[in-house]
Parts: sequence; structure tokens; C-alpha cells
Amino acid sequence: MNNVVVETKNLVKTFGDIKALNGLSFTVTQGEIFGLIGPNGAGKTTTLRILATLIKPSSGYAKIFGYDVEKNPSEVRRIISYLPEEAGAYKNLSGFEYFEFMANFYHQSPQEGRAAVEEAAKISGLGERLKDRVKTYSKGMNRRLLLARALMMKPKLAILDEPTSGLDVVHAFHVRRIIQEYTKTHGVTVLLSSHNMLEVEFLCNQVALVNEGKVISQGSPHELKSHYSVNNLEDVFMEATKLG
Amino acid sequence: MVKGLSNLISKEIKELLRDPKILLGMVLMPLITFPLMGAAMNISTSTLEESTRNVSVMIMNLDKGPLAESLLLILQSMNATIIETGSSTVEDALVDLSQNNTTTLVVIPQGFSQNLTLGLRAKIIVYSVFESLSLAEGIRSSAVEVPINLYKNALVTQAIRQAFPDRDPLAVLDPISISNVAVVKGKIVNVSSDILRSLFMSQSLGFPLVIMLLLISAMQIAATSISIEKEEKTLETLLTVPISRLGILTGKLAGSVVVAAAGAIASMVGVNYYINSFNEMIPTQNISLEDLGLSMTPLSYGLLGVMIFVTIVSALALAIIVAAFSENVRSAQALVGPLNFIFIFPSLILMFADIQMLPYPIQIVLYAIPYTHSIIATKAAFLGDYFTMLVSIAYVSAFTIAVLYIAARIFTTEKIVTARISFKKLKIRKP
Ligand SMILES: Nc1ncnc2c1ncn2[C@@H]1O[C@H](COP(=O)(O)OP(=O)(O)OP(=O)(O)O)[C@@H](O)[C@H]1O
Ligand SMILES: [Mg+2]
Repeated sequence: MNNVVVETKNLVKTFGDIKALNGLSFTVTQGEIFGLIGPNGAGKTTTLRILATLIKPSSGYAKIFGYDVEKNPSEVRRIISYLPEEAGAYKNLSGFEYFEFMANFYHQSPQEGRAAVEEAAKISGLGERLKDRVKTYSKGMNRRLLLARALMMKPKLAILDEPTSGLDVVHAFHVRRIIQEYTKTHGVTVLLSSHNMLEVEFLCNQVALVNEGKVISQGSPHELKSHYSVNNLEDVFMEATKLG
Repeated sequence: MVKGLSNLISKEIKELLRDPKILLGMVLMPLITFPLMGAAMNISTSTLEESTRNVSVMIMNLDKGPLAESLLLILQSMNATIIETGSSTVEDALVDLSQNNTTTLVVIPQGFSQNLTLGLRAKIIVYSVFESLSLAEGIRSSAVEVPINLYKNALVTQAIRQAFPDRDPLAVLDPISISNVAVVKGKIVNVSSDILRSLFMSQSLGFPLVIMLLLISAMQIAATSISIEKEEKTLETLLTVPISRLGILTGKLAGSVVVAAAGAIASMVGVNYYINSFNEMIPTQNISLEDLGLSMTPLSYGLLGVMIFVTIVSALALAIIVAAFSENVRSAQALVGPLNFIFIFPSLILMFADIQMLPYPIQIVLYAIPYTHSIIATKAAFLGDYFTMLVSIAYVSAFTIAVLYIAARIFTTEKIVTARISFKKLKIRKP
């Protein structure tokens, strides 16, 4: 069991009267690209936020590399990086300054920091524009900046909430390639959520279908398709949510 | 941890300095307001003399008698510019007045000389045009009355001389002379009560006002610095990096504190200018600024600086608490707005009243508000009352620590993320 990266067990999260999570459990193992899919309001973002130490579960637990996210948040923060569903960067900093600022939290030596910034510049593909203030960036450029930030420090676990939302076809493709490359060459485990079934089918080794705060089905894209005897993940989604 | 903190602080300062609003509100405002307060006093005390000297008056002389002529001579001898109008009605004269760019019309009606020589009451009508409702306008309109009164006095003196040739006219008119002597802090001060009055006005009106403005802008800055992280969606990312929540709060505060410290220093420099403007106003008479209670020892300066600093920190922490619950900059500023009332209330009351003169319940309310003590301490600084200053600093510091503690509590819960006030205790899972 020592290759378990993420373990959630009976996670429940309530916001006032709303039950966002209702006993959600799944396990992610090392080197996987694990996808959470499900309709709007299913609880994907809530799950990822709990894992990213932003909010606390009402009951149940979540562990990352054995660290309980509620009890050991500072250990968890050292090994994860989180890309929020909706995120921005500091408008008055340049892209480079933003990378430097974020890298400084992780790296011990200035060389390490510089290497991370260079890596981020490469991932983002923003080139010279990184010298400009973030407020001059388009929505997609912003997303690339943030995604590069999330991957530059080669985290043990990258938690990416809809990583390619808002990107054009070319850049979404580029981002998927990078995510794949990172898991292969740098041993990064990825947990992502997505509404793009093609992307999930292409990227993920494991998929969990979430509906109304519960995992209703889990497996590789292939397993899911044969389980529901359909041809693509979109149909899996339709079938599963109808039943759930 | 230390590395993360310094990283955060340097980014905060970088961002704050790139925001022109901060520079304007915190540094330039006090640097400009205090010297302006001094200058305004200088102007208002010297305008009166100036305005009598250079007044220009239009005269409609319908009397043409000898006594009317001698009145004109007196006006001229006092450096008033006299324009005689040939118009015979007030309406025409007023048209003439505006063409000559003059705002005062003196009408000497027919029979003026005759009445006076017969021992009857004569009449003069002064028309003043009010263009702007400024203080200077009021002073200008009354300027012409000075020479007229002089003339009147001369007539009275003359009449008394005729009636009581062996008595001093002044002793008849004003048998008791009253001398006003100002005593400040137990010392007799030889300075005109006008200057003293405006001095105390500026202290009691100006200082609360400037502190109020400083605090309001400090709170806006701090509220913005947190809520902009929410609005621009940078907070969630920041909260997942390896730095403690307290570290983030400290970084936010420290960034704002650096700006606030700049504000406090600018205030002190401004106060210094303000004091110097009195040096110019009160020439080398036999009084010194110490006599007026206007001197500040280095200790007073130091304590006042500390006072302004802790006051600002508490305001910043308060603003951060409020901003933690708001979703964007606009709602944060809207929430901070009503909070400003706790400075405005004591500032306004203490502008017009001494706290000891107020009814007991209001005193209690005022003393409970920490910012009352900030204002009291400012006044105490000028009187060299270190004890009051230290008590005020202690009270405001205690309040500041309490507010900081609450801010820290909010930062370590998920409330900062969910932006909703929930009073239900979160269940903590037992192992
Ligand atoms: N801060 C909050 N306060 C109250 N309710 C919330 C909060 N955050 C999420 N919820 C509720 O929790 C439920 C799950 O939301 P969540 O954002 O996790 O869904 P999601 O699966 O990410 O949906 P989407 O595909 O639209 O991103 C929703 O009903 C939502 O309204
Ligand atoms: Mg979501």
C-alpha cells in the first residue's frame, strides 16, 4: 500500500444546508493521472479543495502520502500543488515576477529557484510576454501561466481543477502533453477534474464518476466503457448520471 | 518560514508601491494637510489686517455736505480706494459697482451732514455683494466698517469734549477698561486671543480630522489588499503553498504596516511643518512656543509616533477581518465603510467638545472606543502629558492585540476561503 498517493474515505462536506459531499471515497496510486468527472455541482471542486487543505471535511478523512490533510496541512502543502478552477495571478507583477514569487516558497537555493522559473517559462510557452504585467494577459495566457506555476516545482501530487478550461485547441493539446510528460519523467501524480471527455479518455489511467457527492463508478476509461457497454466516456457519463 | 515571510512581504510592498492610490492617501495626504492647516491659520489671522488696508469702496454721496466729505477723507487716509459714483439710485450704483469690480457700496443719504450738525442721528447704508460665501468675503464686507466706526468715534469724542470739557472722553464712554490676559499651563502668555483661539481651533478640529482620514485610508488599503486576492482569485493558490496561515496574515499586515509607517512618518513631518508655521506667525515677542503648549519634546514626538502606529495597525487588522468575509474589493470597501464610524464618531465629538464636559454615559461610550484615545493622546502630546499618552497607548495596544488575535483565528479556519459567516462549530474528527 505504500504506492498510495491519495486516499479519501467517506468524505462528507456540508455548507449550511447543502450537502456538497456525501460519503465520497477513492484512491489514487503513484504515477497515475486520475480524473474526476461528473455533472455541475457534483462535488469535484469541493473534493479537490479538501485535498488542497483549503477547506476541512465535515466528516471522513483524506490522506496524501499518508498525511491527513486536516491534521498535517503544512506537510501536505509541501508536496502538492493546486490549480484552482478559477484562479488569477497578481495583476501588478510580471509573469516572471509571479513565477519567482511562487518558486521562492518552495526552493532552498537561488539556483533551484531560477531553474524552476526557467521550467515554468518553458511550460507556459509565453516567451517574451512573461516580462509584461499579468494584467495585460488574455484569459488563456493567464491559465497557461497558472498551470506552469503548478507544475514548475515538480510536485509529488498535482491537483488540477479543470486544467485546460479556457484554452484553445493548440494550447490544450500542449498542456496535455506536458501533464503526460511530467508523470512519466518526473514521477508526478496528477489528480484532475474535467468536463472534456475526450481529454479524460486521452489522459487518464483512472476515472471516478462523481454524482451528488459520491463516487458512483470508478475504473480505467476502457473498464468504464465496457461496464456500461457504450462506445465513449460521454455515453458512460450519461448512463451513469441517469442511474445515479 | 522566515524565507516565505520575507518573500511575501517583499511582494506585498512591491504591489502596494505600484498602486498610486496608496502613495496619495497615506503619504502625501498628511504631508500636505498639516502644513496647509498651519498656512490656513496664518492666512485667516492676517487677512483681516490686509483686507482693511486694500479695501476698495464705491461711494454714492447724496449728501455732498462737509461732514460727508470728512468721512471720505478718513476712508482715504486708511488706504481705502474710493470710487465715487454719479448714479442717483441704488440700482444704477449696483450696476456701476459690478463694472468697477468692487463689492462694497456705501450710500451717504441726503441730510447726513445736516442731521449730525443738528445733533440728530444720521444714517449710512453699506451694501455688500456676496459672490462666494467664503470667510474672506465676510471679512471684506466688514472691512469698510472699520473706518466708519473710527469716524463715528471721532464724532462721539468731539461731542463728549463739548459736553464735559474737563473729562477724558474715554473715561466717559468706557469707564471700565478690561484687559484680557491668557494663561496657558499656569503661565501668563502675552499673545492676542485671536491667535490663541485659532491655534486651539486648529488643534481640536484639525488633528482628529487628519487622524480620521489617515485611518480611513489605511483601512481601505488593508481591506483592498485582502479582498483583491479574493477578487483576482489569487488567495486560494496562496493558501496552498508551504507557508502557514499566520505567515500569510503577518505578511499582509507587514506590507500594510510598512505603508502605514510611511503614513505615520509623513504625519510627523507634517506636524513639524505645522508647528513651524506658528513660529513665523508669532514674531519675536516675549513668548515662546513652550508657553503656548505648542512645543513637542522628542519624547512627545516618539510617543505620538508610536500611538499613530499602533492605531494604524489595529485599523488594518480590523479591515482585514472584514475583508476576509467579503467576496470582492467592492463589498470589502462597503463593509469597511460603516466601520469607519468608530473613528468618525469620537473625532467629530472631540472636535467640538472636551470629553470631560460631556454627559457621563457618552463619556463611557467614548472612552470605550479605542480611537478616542488616539485623539486624546494627540492633544496630550502638545501639553507634554506623558502619562495620558502612555495610558492611551496601552489601551489602543491591548485593543490591537485582541483584533490581531481574531484576525489570526479567521485566517486559520476555512472561513477565509468559503467567504461565508457560519457560527456553527466545525466538527473535528476524533482519531
Ligand atoms: N462555499 C460554498 N458555500 C456553499 N455551498 C457551496 C460552496 N462551495 C460549493 N458549494 C456547493 O457544493 C456543491 C458542490 O460544488 P462543487 O463546486 O464541488 O461542484 P463541481 O463538481 O466542482 O461543479 P462544476 O462542474 O460546476 O465545477 C454545489 O451544490 C455547490 O453549490
Ligand atoms: Mg468545479
